[in-house]
Amino acid sequence: MKVESQIEITPTSVVLNGQAIAVEATGEKMLVELYRRFVGDYPKFFKMDTLSRLGFIAAELLLKHSGASEHSDKSCQPTAVILANRSASIKNDRDYLATISEGNYYPSPSLFVYTLPNIVTGEIAIRHHIQGETAFYILEKPEDLEPILLSTFNFKLSTALAGWCECSEPNSFYAKMQLIIWNN
Amino acid sequence: MEQLIEQLKAQIIEALSFEDMTPADIDTDAPLFGEGLGLDSIDALELIMLLDREYGIKLADPKAGKAIFASVRTMAEYISTHRTK
Repeated sequence: MKVESQIEITPTSVVLNGQAIAVEATGEKMLVELYRRFVGDYPKFFKMDTLSRLGFIAAELLLKHSGASEHSDKSCQPTAVILANRSASIKNDRDYLATISEGNYYPSPSLFVYTLPNIVTGEIAIRHHIQGETAFYILEKPEDLEPILLSTFNFKLSTALAGWCECSEPNSFYAKMQLIIWNN
Repeated sequence: MEQLIEQLKAQIIEALSFEDMTPADIDTDAPLFGEGLGLDSIDALELIMLLDREYGIKLADPKAGKAIFASVRTMAEYISTHRTK
């Protein structure tokens, strides 16, 4: 299992393959800044919850701006999206709960559709036309994902987008995603 | 009516998270679904919630939605005759 490229995003920094990408904004506004600079043609981004925006931007930078496809002798188009985090979709769950609080019963359909963490894997798969497996695990820490990748997906996949995608509070998130190639 | 149309456009932009869009960007008579704004089924639910929340209108007949949500103008016309708040 080889890591072809990697991205790490915090509320104040973006590091793609060891190179920092300068950003002006922080927190959720930084994700919007990254969208405007590197994407710009996918308005559905603005309807996503923060967890999906985080995963979407990480995947976008990893797959379209890392240069991985230029120097690899294998196809770097992933066939699977395998993500994990510790808090599921709790930030959006709270936002949705606020729309059904007492005296304000107007449950938001657009928030409801993001009350599952695996929606982010679907958003990425749709955007990048990935038609293989998608999976989202709830784990204690990022390191817990690697044994799953080795035990469950080894010899079954050629290339996958995998990693950690966590957002527990407004403006508090962390993503560490990798483009992984199996040398089967 | 024109004032209601402008107010409705602003409410649609907020409800559907159309960042960077202003009321002037929305054609009053353009189709809301398919062409025009290109809204989807979740957006339709948001518009139904908007009618209830802002104007006290509960759509009892889902079949009526197609005509009501044809454009911003048809929405505004429906609101002006059915609003309870």
